[in-house]
Amino acid sequence: MLDQDSLRRYEAQCTQDSPPQCRINCPFSLDCRAFLTNMACGKLAAARAILERHLPLPHIMALICDHPCEQACLRRDFGGAIALHHLEFSCLAQTTSAERLLPIPPKRHKMAVVGAGLAALTAAWDLSRKSYPVTLFVDGEISELLLCQFPNLEEARAWLEEDLKVLLRKVCVEQKTVTREALVTLAQDFAGVFLDASTHPALAPAEAAVDASTWHWQDGICVAGWRSLSPTGHTYSLPSRQAGQGREAALTMERVAGKLSLTAERKKRYGNLHTDCTQVERVQRLEPQTTQWGCALYSQEEARQEASRCLQCQCLICVENCPYLQKYKGYPKVYARQIHNNATIVKGLHTANALINGCALCDQCSRLCPEHFSMAELCLAAREEMVARGQMPPSAHEFALEDMEQAQSPGAFLTWPKPKPGASPPHWLFFPGCQLSASRGEQVLALFAWLEQKLSGSDQAGLALCLACCGQPAHWAGQRKLFEEQLARLRDVWQEYGKPTILTACASCLAALREGLPDLPVRSVWELVDSLELSDLPKEARFPLPKTFSVHDPCAARDDKGWQKAIRSLAQKLGYTLIEPKCTAETTSCCGYGGLVWCAQPETANSLVADRIAQLPGDVLASCVMCRDRFVAQDKACWHILDLLLPHLAVAGTQRGPGLAQRRYQRSQLKARILGQTIRPEGEEVALASDLAETLEEQHILLSDIITALEQIEAKTLWCLNKTNNHRVGAWRPRKVTFWVEYSKTEHGFLVHDAWCHRMLVPGAGGEDAETVIAREQSSSS
Amino acid sequence: MGMLPEYRPDQGEWLCGRCKIPLEQGKVPVFYLNSAFDVILPRCPQCGFTLVPKSLAQGKMLEVESLLEEK
Ligand SMILES: [Zn+2]
Repeated sequence: MLDQDSLRRYEAQCTQDSPPQCRINCPFSLDCRAFLTNMACGKLAAARAILERHLPLPHIMALICDHPCEQACLRRDFGGAIALHHLEFSCLAQTTSAERLLPIPPKRHKMAVVGAGLAALTAAWDLSRKSYPVTLFVDGEISELLLCQFPNLEEARAWLEEDLKVLLRKVCVEQKTVTREALVTLAQDFAGVFLDASTHPALAPAEAAVDASTWHWQDGICVAGWRSLSPTGHTYSLPSRQAGQGREAALTMERVAGKLSLTAERKKRYGNLHTDCTQVERVQRLEPQTTQWGCALYSQEEARQEASRCLQCQCLICVENCPYLQKYKGYPKVYARQIHNNATIVKGLHTANALINGCALCDQCSRLCPEHFSMAELCLAAREEMVARGQMPPSAHEFALEDMEQAQSPGAFLTWPKPKPGASPPHWLFFPGCQLSASRGEQVLALFAWLEQKLSGSDQAGLALCLACCGQPAHWAGQRKLFEEQLARLRDVWQEYGKPTILTACASCLAALREGLPDLPVRSVWELVDSLELSDLPKEARFPLPKTFSVHDPCAARDDKGWQKAIRSLAQKLGYTLIEPKCTAETTSCCGYGGLVWCAQPETANSLVADRIAQLPGDVLASCVMCRDRFVAQDKACWHILDLLLPHLAVAGTQRGPGLAQRRYQRSQLKARILGQTIRPEGEEVALASDLAETLEEQHILLSDIITALEQIEAKTLWCLNKTNNHRVGAWRPRKVTFWVEYSKTEHGFLVHDAWCHRMLVPGAGGEDAETVIAREQSSSS
Repeated sequence: MGMLPEYRPDQGEWLCGRCKIPLEQGKVPVFYLNSAFDVILPRCPQCGFTLVPKSLAQGKMLEVESLLEEK
């Protein structure tokens, strides 16, 4: 399951934590994003603190750094790189240091630094700040030595002196001409030695002779800071390179002194932070009005303006497109850790349960993510683990699983016509799926009849029908075993019919069958219809249909090019125009039905559907009836592809789909109709008070629950009487839920005023004798 | 032990359907997911019929159920 290794793999896939390009390219790992955030809102002191935390000799670096950060800036192509260099300079010019270094007791290892180039001074700066006693061996004035390489510092001598003053507070300076022999002696007397190649070129080896990841030369001596050579053979000093080498060498010296590996875990590895720049608008880099010491000096307002051009590079591409991922304020890397922790909690709250059960398992994230991070995979594995450990909250999916059970029950399950021994087996098995059968029975039958007639006489003749559930709800609930049982039953049906090709009309069924029964031939019914001649389809529409639709692909068909193509082709052949939304086909968004979120977290499901609706202008064309019904439930006009194919049986795009109870009834109704039977509509003798039906639906209380409860309550006198209004209130507990019904008796039956339910077991409520319940529960818990 | 939580009917005057006597507030143990607590609810002193008012089922009881489901 989600062990440490797989957690690491998941974490590595999400690059949101990776540093942006500017920071990666800064030898001092300056947090440019945070620096610019502060600059953009005028928090100069906070911005300065970031510079002082990361940069050695901050004034000098701000003046002379060759800013490799700007070369890497993603803003470069959209108006020019952020002027980080100028901004750093302007920040320091307009603030004074408030840095307070905490006194740290001096470390035991003494360090020697030879030379006064930028590399040496950086090494001395870094080591002294970590409280190593540092002796700096120089042959002359430090500032003069530095000016030899960086003459433009002359103008800004005040800043140069300021950094040196800070440095020399902690570093001893010794005037000495260091020879090769002296260097050997230093290596014996000090725990680490640094030699600056720019001020001691004669002593230093060639750059190529030294390991560039550590700058360790030999015997505890590090060398770095070589001057660079231009293509024309001219030598020059590159500040970021020299100072960066000094910082790396200082780290090596610490490791040499501590007798640690020079290379192990030296650099944290990151994936490349992906940043989507497709929506970035061009904003020109701001040129400042004033300069100082040859450097551009932004006014505070100018600085604010320039800094706010920063793209604040981050990925979040999955989060931006998914209200569920937004809900918990994090991103997949954080969520993977939370889900991992959830599974390892023994005592305490499993607070990630909601995170795990709130995912629609639609997998849009993995298609948007450049590294293909899949929250669906993670959450499904976590659900299966919770089920295996008995930690899945009963309230999460039980209701959806009961619905599945009903679709598989003898009252709704049907194979028709029955396979006849000896007769030639049908070529096709039409599997409309339990939801389409529950809401579009009439259209299912009409499509079946049309297909049967269309195929007759061809070499693909023979069509049978199977009304059943594919088991996807069990899969989504993490009930792997139950899912496999459903699939096994379908395999039996398929074999009984002589292995026909299965035609599904529901994308979730198609996905479930492809995953669970990969050896069975399965395709969408839409592809078959699209391959047939359509001219004899009924033309007369029940009422006028729109001519243009936004097309919405079901998330379960995001990888199904055949499905997507067939829907578009059919709509076009029938004379309709389709508009493609931003997230479409492979990256389509979920309507909130996926992953049983509608059951476990209706409010998350609602934010998913609301978000999707906002992306779809005008009337929508759906090819999954659950998408269709969920859109319409939110007052978004939506039509099903069947409404286009069979316009004489169309359901208006504004007409709400059937409720949960009605779906169950209509499933049984469809079966009865095919078999030429009639079933009595349920609950003719039960009337609901006005507006009650919707409230019951929200609480997942079905009319059938109420009818059964009323029968039992009346038969066993499981009620009490409210004398003030003569209402009876009774309870029945058919399974792990107690249903309460408040009703009065009428001439024809019952009028239900209200109903509620709870999972908690309350002795004396629900049918069983109170004392019996108490005795049993207390003995089982002790 | 502190005072037990007590819940009264949302409104009205109540008689047990079976015993035809008024319900009285009484202590009942309730159970969920390996946890048990005592609460005071309207119940029939004779047969033990216990009423769970709607406000309790949709309020505190739902809250406690969710909490126990996270444990
Ligand atoms: Zn009684």
